[in-house]
Amino acid sequence: MAKLEASDTVVFGISIDSPAANAAFAKQIGVTFPLLSDMNRKVLTAYGILKPYDVQGDKYEWAQRTTIVVDKDGNIQHVEQGDGAVNPNSAVAICTGLHKPKGQ
Amino acid sequence: MKRIVTALTALLLLLLTAAQFPAAAQDDAIAKTNLKVGDVAPDFTLLANDWKPVKLSDFRGKKNVILAFYVLAFTGG
Repeated sequence: MAKLEASDTVVFGISIDSPAANAAFAKQIGVTFPLLSDMNRKVLTAYGILKPYDVQGDKYEWAQRTTIVVDKDGNIQHVEQGDGAVNPNSAVAICTGLHKPKGQ
Repeated sequence: MKRIVTALTALLLLLLTAAQFPAAAQDDAIAKTNLKVGDVAPDFTLLANDWKPVKLSDFRGKKNVILAFYVLAFTGG
């Protein structure tokens, strides 16, 4: 996280949980960045990462695990999906790289 | 007879316990985003865990933003 702060980067977690659930979750795992609530799934839909899950025959739609890096111009620099997206190393490396002045 | 009852009870308990911890059956296919590197990230405003709104475009020109989408709170990953 310190590396990220130094490279002008903010981190947000996003899921379909309510702010109340996210607040309790943040406290439990001691997370230092904000967790955002996409309760009506508008962002998951816009980003095309709503995924069907089946729990005992009932169907749900939750997020596909995804990491997306957005640069200062608002453009997407990196997309990582699936189990690999749990590991933040590549996203961190990209943001540290974005911070480097041009020519270095 | 007693043995059978014990065995049946044990079986029932086992089944009940198994039902308590369902593995969320998942489609292994990845819901692939249609967004590509270089695309403009769709803007959004969402409530943070302190109930304050966070707008993606507020960071434009100021910060890089990492969006980490996770499945559900209180679950691994």
